[in-house]
Amino acid sequence: MKLMPRALSLRLAAMFALVSVLLMGAIGFYLYQSLQREIAWRDDQALLGRLQRMQALISDSDSIEALRGRPKLYENMLGNRDNLLWIVDGAGKVLIEINPAHLPLPSLQAAPVAQLSDGQYAEPVRLAWLDVVNGDRSLTLIAAKLLSEREQMLGAYRLKLWLALSVGALLAFALGGWVSQRGLRPVRQLAARAAGIDVQHLHLRLDDFNEVSELRVLSKALNHMLARLEDGFAQLSRFSEDLAHEMRTPLSNLMGHTQQTLRHGRTIDEYQNLLVSNQEEYERLARMIDSMLFLARTDQSHISIKPEQFDLHDLSAQLCDYFEGVAQEREIQIIDHTCGELMADPILVRRAMANLLANALRHATPGTEVTLASATWEDRLEVSVHNQGEPIAPQHLPRLFERFYRCDPSRNQPDDSGGLGLAIVRSIMQIHGGRVSVDSAESGTRFCLEFPLKKGSSES
Amino acid sequence: MRILVVEDEAKTADYLHKALSESGYGVEIALNGLDGQHLVQESEYDLIILDVMLPGLDGWQLLQIIRRKWQTPVLFLTARDAIDDRVKGLELGADDYLVKPFSYAELLARVRTLLRRGPPREVEQFQVADLSLDLLRRKVTRNGQRLTLTNKEFALLHLLLNREGEVLSRSLIASQIWQMNFDSDTNVVDVAIRRLRAKVDDPFQLKLIHTVRGIGYLLEVQS
Repeated sequence: MKLMPRALSLRLAAMFALVSVLLMGAIGFYLYQSLQREIAWRDDQALLGRLQRMQALISDSDSIEALRGRPKLYENMLGNRDNLLWIVDGAGKVLIEINPAHLPLPSLQAAPVAQLSDGQYAEPVRLAWLDVVNGDRSLTLIAAKLLSEREQMLGAYRLKLWLALSVGALLAFALGGWVSQRGLRPVRQLAARAAGIDVQHLHLRLDDFNEVSELRVLSKALNHMLARLEDGFAQLSRFSEDLAHEMRTPLSNLMGHTQQTLRHGRTIDEYQNLLVSNQEEYERLARMIDSMLFLARTDQSHISIKPEQFDLHDLSAQLCDYFEGVAQEREIQIIDHTCGELMADPILVRRAMANLLANALRHATPGTEVTLASATWEDRLEVSVHNQGEPIAPQHLPRLFERFYRCDPSRNQPDDSGGLGLAIVRSIMQIHGGRVSVDSAESGTRFCLEFPLKKGSSES
Repeated sequence: MRILVVEDEAKTADYLHKALSESGYGVEIALNGLDGQHLVQESEYDLIILDVMLPGLDGWQLLQIIRRKWQTPVLFLTARDAIDDRVKGLELGADDYLVKPFSYAELLARVRTLLRRGPPREVEQFQVADLSLDLLRRKVTRNGQRLTLTNKEFALLHLLLNREGEVLSRSLIASQIWQMNFDSDTNVVDVAIRRLRAKVDDPFQLKLIHTVRGIGYLLEVQS
């Protein structure tokens, strides 16, 4: 395809031209061949006819000599310089010769019936000859025709054919170009439309091309891509906005509180209070930055995790141990039903499960149970964390794993996870090739981690 | 104990100087890599705290120069905590690293560990005021009374006693007791301390476990 021009319309035009040259050439060749055959056939018939007339003339005439005395007659009869005639007797003696081209006498085989052949001369010559018996003598009648005129005519015809073919190819190229330009106009319109879509106009779609079926597929695919881009972009800008907002809140606390304290002299206690309050805000910021960095790194697809085989029950026992105190304070019991082995990065899995567990403890109704469970399927291992408590409204569920998303927009919850806990869980699952899901009903809320299983990596 | 701090951020250098001096160390500050190199060649230090991003001569280069001649422990500070950076530092011969922002308690703990020559000595008996802990018998008594502690409570008390007088941050406690190495925003440590206090401090007049607001917890006899 290197020889192909880059523009599609040019390419199509070239193909048009090629196809028409092939077609026209084939037709021209066929016509030329038939014409040539027809002319040759007629020439041969003319030569044979001439032999017959000569034969009749000889049998009618009294003697050859009488005929030899009237050479003009034959010349006139033959009419032009292209036609030749010999009458040769049995001894090879030329009795009559009409030979304006001065060709030597051809040597020929005996021919009781008329024979046709091409002459062995520099110029193309067609020969017809016949042996006849005239009285006591055997004679050979030879009629010949120089083919140069015919060759000239056919040559001119060939030239015309080539010319017609070339002009036809050029016309086909030009017309083909024009037609494909016209035919590809929707593509250019599509391109122009697509070029008009930038960051400010991500909501635009390419809907005008439904009548062209090929383009409908293309524009549909492009529209899907645009929808994904718009979605991703919206999420990104919402995220930047949220991030700015999230950072602004602790910063404004820090600035406001510090400025207010510095306006007058304060007691040591007040200064201490200020510093402690500042410290809390700093820690909040530091935690947020840590989480952001973690998310940014897991977003990069090339991040490497260190999967190893570990016992799921050991890991959840460790987590239960960690959260035991907090759970007891809220009169919640953690029940651990997990078992089996998992091939994954244990540190990341622990972090994901810790986030879910902290979440469950935060939202569980006091006096109830938080249940950890696992289930192994053919292709996946599920780890779930269930808590009883107020259900999450369905409209929040799809967006629960977005960064900074909160069901309750008022952000002053006592032990707020900063809105990144579940986003981190989702990221961890993504780099493991798994997913996290949630369902919530009157009976409680259940988060489920799904790890894909590779062959032989797990048994339970 | 003399510590050299090579740090170009004036505020950081200033607070490290104040804080480490308060903790009883002799501190010298170099504000760029070349000054740092000069000071290292001039006098002897027990520990060098090195920032990675330095004008003139960066932390990596300075570390290489130091390692050619000296085996002084080096703790490096970095705002970049990509794994590659940490590995690079440790490969070049640093002894430990700390990612900014870090808490002072954390820094002090690392400094103490690095300055402690040889393996930490294993203490098996602790005695602070009327509280005593026997590691081998797993026995804790206060004022002659035997206290019943859970495993985690015992481990926590052991940690506090082992670092008596040292403020321990929540994240340090979480990583030492539960091996939780990420900053979690739950109040697990506060709950654990509260439960330990209920057994160790609440029934008695003299309080030993103290909250240092904004930093963490410490165990000591305060007058």
